[in-house]
Amino acid sequence: MICVVGATSAVAQAAIRDWAARGDELVLFGRNAAELERIAADARVRGAVGVAVHAGEITSIAFIEAAVATLPITQQALVAHGSLTDAARGMEDLRYLAEQFNVNFISGCAWTQCLANKMATQGSGSIAVISSVAGERGRYSNFAYGSAKAGLTAFCDGLRARMLARGVHVITVKPGSIDTPMTASMKKGLLFASAESVAKGIVRALDQQRDVVYLPRYWQLIMTIVRAIPERVAKRLKW
Amino acid sequence: MTPLSLDQPWGRGLSATHEHLFADGDALPTKNFLPRGLGRSYGDVCVNDGGALLHSFRRDRLISFDEVHGVLRCEAGASLADIAQVMVPRGWFPSVVPGTRYVTVGGAIANDVHGKNHHIAGTFGRSVQSIKLRRSDTGAREIGTTDPTFGATVAGLGLTGLIEEATLQLGVLPGPGIAQDTTVFGGAGNIDDYVSLDEASSAWPYTVGWIDTLDPGLRGVFFRGEHCDGPDEWLAPQPAKFTMPVDAPGWVLGRWSAKAFNSVYYRAQSMRTARRETVPLWQFFFPLDAVTAWNRVYGKRGFVQYQFVVPREAARESVPKILSHLRESRVASYLAVIKSFAAIASPGLMSFPMPGVTVALDVPGPNDADRRALDRADAMVADVGGRVYAAKDARMSSVMFKRFYPQWEALEAARDPAICSSFWRRVTR
Repeated sequence: MICVVGATSAVAQAAIRDWAARGDELVLFGRNAAELERIAADARVRGAVGVAVHAGEITSIAFIEAAVATLPITQQALVAHGSLTDAARGMEDLRYLAEQFNVNFISGCAWTQCLANKMATQGSGSIAVISSVAGERGRYSNFAYGSAKAGLTAFCDGLRARMLARGVHVITVKPGSIDTPMTASMKKGLLFASAESVAKGIVRALDQQRDVVYLPRYWQLIMTIVRAIPERVAKRLKW
Repeated sequence: MTPLSLDQPWGRGLSATHEHLFADGDALPTKNFLPRGLGRSYGDVCVNDGGALLHSFRRDRLISFDEVHGVLRCEAGASLADIAQVMVPRGWFPSVVPGTRYVTVGGAIANDVHGKNHHIAGTFGRSVQSIKLRRSDTGAREIGTTDPTFGATVAGLGLTGLIEEATLQLGVLPGPGIAQDTTVFGGAGNIDDYVSLDEASSAWPYTVGWIDTLDPGLRGVFFRGEHCDGPDEWLAPQPAKFTMPVDAPGWVLGRWSAKAFNSVYYRAQSMRTARRETVPLWQFFFPLDAVTAWNRVYGKRGFVQYQFVVPREAARESVPKILSHLRESRVASYLAVIKSFAAIASPGLMSFPMPGVTVALDVPGPNDADRRALDRADAMVADVGGRVYAAKDARMSSVMFKRFYPQWEALEAARDPAICSSFWRRVTR
């Protein structure tokens, strides 16, 4: 069985289709009940053997604990929820900023920890957590989002070490820019990847129990360069 | 498989500015908009210059499938590519497919597309059992085939409301192969050979002809096919072999290149003559999908596709007349397709097919002389009671449109007041 958190995200939906096509059993979590039902119906038509959905406040610790407690044996999980934080708004509205940290960092850690603990009792399992290349350096335009993802990346990296001896595998997924409905009207460069191709990379990373994956892979090179820019230069870039 | 530009139609050649909106929840935009799928319409039926486009991205979920009867319910943003890929291994296939699989169900309904099996199955609209239509004024409603709104929505160019979901009857698929048989025809400057071949092939489920409109003899190649079994690797489409990375330069588009291309193509096909072979269905139905962004072949100036139909009684005389007019006017064309429509009524009020013969030809980057020649061809088509296909048009005059589709006012009456397209403004003014 595969558990998906944030199942309505574009990447999660694409991964769900791949899993459905190979006949997996799925449990989907998300906020929007009507959308979850549609995604579940789609997965069933495409061949998923069983699909259960649970709609609720997926950033609440009480919901997370209750949800994970009801899961049957779970071999694989994808933690995919997130929100693209408006950095400028976060500078004015601290409540918004805190809420965004909760969505992108705290609740992501909570799901990953809770699922890891459950898998440890099974003695095996793999969790892919969608972080972001944005977490590799705080930048002018998206440091609020990036800092939350930086925290999530560090959490996953440490948890991977902690869970190693207990048979649980944690994968840090770092996608670059993804071509979603929100970005469709932007003038797109070649660096935008489709949600489908990123999803395929996640499905593969889970099967192969990779540690850290950049999707597409060339982002690893790009981020090496981005990290190498001296701070006295970087602080002047409005990127 | 998004098109090169969200602001252009597939034939390119015209630029427009849009606000881009994405279906989100149940609310429709209150300002002027046009629903848009994958933008494979050649001309401005998928363009709304100065207004908004409401995109169907991710509104592409399959909702339910009756494995016994082959009845699929899906969201209208689902593509025939996706449906075919899921359904072929289960032994089902869309009842009607156009020459590309990268079209949405909503777009296939709105243009009431046809395929190589028109003489057996009619148009795509005939396989639609029910539509969920959302209007800006009256909200969402399920409409069945007997509802008057159904007839206005099928071939309604997306103007009667947002098609949100549809129920489709799929066809039984015996296997992933097509047994194909190839015959050359023509050379005498008429289409008599083609017509006899076509009549003799009426038992074949799929028939289509390629015709060299630049050859005074009107030589051509006739293809007919039927479903058959094939190896398992044919169950899934091969990924596109080639992407057109840049726009082709202008000289590729001229009349001499077209002539050379047509000669080579004819020779290559005639060598296969009378040979029966089995090919993957993907290759038979969707040859152009093997090249991603094939519309770049025609360069930045783009192209128009001119597709007309003339009634059966008039076809033998008028098809050669229209084609020789275009040839004498030096209108260049690469692939032209010829196909006979049967007397199978389309459910759409504005559907293009009628019993008769249709010809579709690409005209790269039409100049003023080409446009005048096409206007003259419009008149020749209208004089024999034929019509030109709106889904591919970017140029017909409003006078001609109203002659081809005298029933247009019924669609105007059924139009959602918030929806319009560049095409509709152009042809109804």
